[in-house]
Amino acid sequence: VTPEELLRALTHLLLGYFLLVNALQLVLYAISFVEVSRYVGKDAFSSLPDLFASKYLQPVSVVVPAFNEAPTIADSVRSLLSLHYPLHEVVVVNDGSTDETLHVLRSEFELEESLQPLRGELPSAPVRRVYASATLPLLVIDKDNGGKSDALNAGVSAARYPLVCCIDADIVLEEDALLRIVRPMAESSEVVAVGGLVRVANGSYFERGRLVRAAAPKGLLAGIQVVEYLRAFVSTRTAWSRLNCLLIISGAFGLFRRADLIRAGGYATDTVGEDMEIATRMHRTLREAGERYRISFVPDPVAWTEAPATLSVLARQRDRWHRGLIETLSRHRRMVANPRYGTVGMLAMPYFVLFELFGPVLEIVGYVVLGAGVLTGSLHGGIVLAFLVATVGLGALPSVAAVFLEELRLTTYSSSRDLVRLLCCALVENLGYRQLTALWRVRAIGSYLRKDREWGVMDRQGFLSREDPVVR
Amino acid sequence: VESLSLMLLASAGSATIASLVVVATVVVRILRAMRTARLETRRARLEPLLFRTLDTGRTPRCLRRLKRRDTALLSQLVVELLGMLRGAQREHIVRLAADAGLVELDVRALASGNHLRRARAAENLGHYGGPEHAVVLGQLLDDPEEIVRAVVARSLSRIGTGEAAHALALKLTSPSEVTGLRMAENLERMGTGAVRSLVTLLDSVQHDDRRGQVLAARVLGNLRVADARPALRSAIQRRWNTDLRAQATLALGRIGHPDDVPPLLMAATDSAWPVRVQAANALGMIGDVSTVPLLRQLLHDPEWWVRESAGAALANLGDAGLQALADVVQAAGEQTRLHAASALEGRAVAERLGGAA
Repeated sequence: VTPEELLRALTHLLLGYFLLVNALQLVLYAISFVEVSRYVGKDAFSSLPDLFASKYLQPVSVVVPAFNEAPTIADSVRSLLSLHYPLHEVVVVNDGSTDETLHVLRSEFELEESLQPLRGELPSAPVRRVYASATLPLLVIDKDNGGKSDALNAGVSAARYPLVCCIDADIVLEEDALLRIVRPMAESSEVVAVGGLVRVANGSYFERGRLVRAAAPKGLLAGIQVVEYLRAFVSTRTAWSRLNCLLIISGAFGLFRRADLIRAGGYATDTVGEDMEIATRMHRTLREAGERYRISFVPDPVAWTEAPATLSVLARQRDRWHRGLIETLSRHRRMVANPRYGTVGMLAMPYFVLFELFGPVLEIVGYVVLGAGVLTGSLHGGIVLAFLVATVGLGALPSVAAVFLEELRLTTYSSSRDLVRLLCCALVENLGYRQLTALWRVRAIGSYLRKDREWGVMDRQGFLSREDPVVR
Repeated sequence: VESLSLMLLASAGSATIASLVVVATVVVRILRAMRTARLETRRARLEPLLFRTLDTGRTPRCLRRLKRRDTALLSQLVVELLGMLRGAQREHIVRLAADAGLVELDVRALASGNHLRRARAAENLGHYGGPEHAVVLGQLLDDPEEIVRAVVARSLSRIGTGEAAHALALKLTSPSEVTGLRMAENLERMGTGAVRSLVTLLDSVQHDDRRGQVLAARVLGNLRVADARPALRSAIQRRWNTDLRAQATLALGRIGHPDDVPPLLMAATDSAWPVRVQAANALGMIGDVSTVPLLRQLLHDPEWWVRESAGAALANLGDAGLQALADVVQAAGEQTRLHAASALEGRAVAERLGGAA
């Protein structure tokens, strides 16, 4: 076999791989399209005010792990306490903060030490004190530092109610977010966990912890992430949820039946991808117990998070996400292609191994092969150009399709300028951004092999308010 | 050449499809804007006719011969309007719905193969249908689609007749937890019209389904209906169902009749702690000062939640209760003292907030 033939064969193989990935993504998209349409159709009858007035909806404990959140924690808690829901409590877990987080909470909400017993159903670092408010449904657990998962476990143990909603301290929830995320559980007792749609907050306007107007960010980096989130959440997770093999419930906003979360063993403290790990473990536990269950996803705009605005922060985030993916897939490798785990084992796990874990590696190899072919003159320039156009076109298709679905069914962005901006981001995403993220993800495999357990610092710039002159 | 043509085909195909999707997205935005404008025009034509009917009570002839798309819009407008109307004007609009053929269309749509159409029809009939539709709607409580069952339950509660209540109460005993809760919710919305069906369910001692009875007790408590007291008092005696005893105890507290204090005092000595918790809560709601000694005893209960509820109940019993709490703060052991102190503090905060308001 000559080097030219080998290069040509490799090029065909890579193109075939891209075609296969995109074909699968389009199948997932088609399923999501039907599901989102059904959801929107049903939403006309949802009657959220009726749900809000209900005395029969199961109460929810909102668990918020907080580490050094002193500047924002009071506003976040106030916003969580004012969520529209018939009965909910907020459980803040101060995870050994070294700043004034606990002091701010105690003084702002007039907290007093409580002797309320903690059931300790999930192990966590030692709890120092428990504080409660005499007038508000607010509980604060002050504990030694043990990481996000450890804090979540302490919060879930202390939660009073049968449903627990685990969220990040720095997200903004829409007022009816709890009502919407609880709805799948109110409609079916088989649902044990629900993931909510997380949107990128950059560019949108917020006041007092509430969304005022959704808008696309002007910056290219944040704009591309808006499209990326749409593709990941609306076009993909909806389909996995339909097939009952959703492997990720975003750590930013997820709802669980407390008893099932505890039964699965709570959050794993030795991984940086605790959100994917817990969803996968719940699948595993419930499948092994032979129970009928569902893990659902709500394709509704409910939680807003700030996306990284610089390449360095984004690189750290993607590195962590990919390490989390590898850790989960490696920990639950016996589920891969194992019919005992149904669609999770036979569909989702192989997809994640082949296309999410190794996809970036193949992509980078493809670019290297093309580069080598051009340099050695083994590949015709026209072939290389056509290959690049094909990969860009194929890569852009799921992204523009995600924007199309958003526009057709969800209509979050009212300005036409925002729509055009998102379409442009969807098209240019494949010219540089995609390659960079693939590179970071390949690098993450190295970090994983070096047993890097670092979370990485996530610098944030804060949400925009109407008066804010700086628009990112 | 073969490779080049393959690549060109792939690139041309993907680029074309991506471009088509972009164009489709823009077209969707334009079409939506046009549709909204058209809808506004049709709405502006129908609304004055509806308002005229409000005053005259006569259905304009043109509303009896509407096109299909206008019929759907008229249904929507009628439902919106009925949410705001009472009395004669409401009757005028309900009659208009029948005259314009909306009721007949919706009854037919209940058999539609499209579940959203069935749900829409059920929703509409809940607003402008009559008692005669309770039976046909009740049959849809077994619809395979959850959303249809939910809408039908809501519509039956709006119709509010005995037949509607009976259909809902039967489903309280559904093996599905969600269905049971939904029925309870709608029975509560019906108010006193649902009491007879609920009491019948609660009195059926031989009934297999315990959850249905627990829900019935809960709804009766929330409705605060004195007629339900005998059935609830009898339910407290059922040793084999702790949940029912706890719920019936709380329900009696919510109704708040002083004659129910003796059975509640018995419940406060129940072997199951959830019943004792609800007994403390119930006694706090009734507010009879003669129960202070017993509540004070409950402050020493081995279960944390019972102590907490007893403290809160004493804080609601006026001076006698507050004095008892103050005595306990001075005299008792640490665990009990803290509950008493916490209840006193909660009371003080509530008074301070009340004063500020």
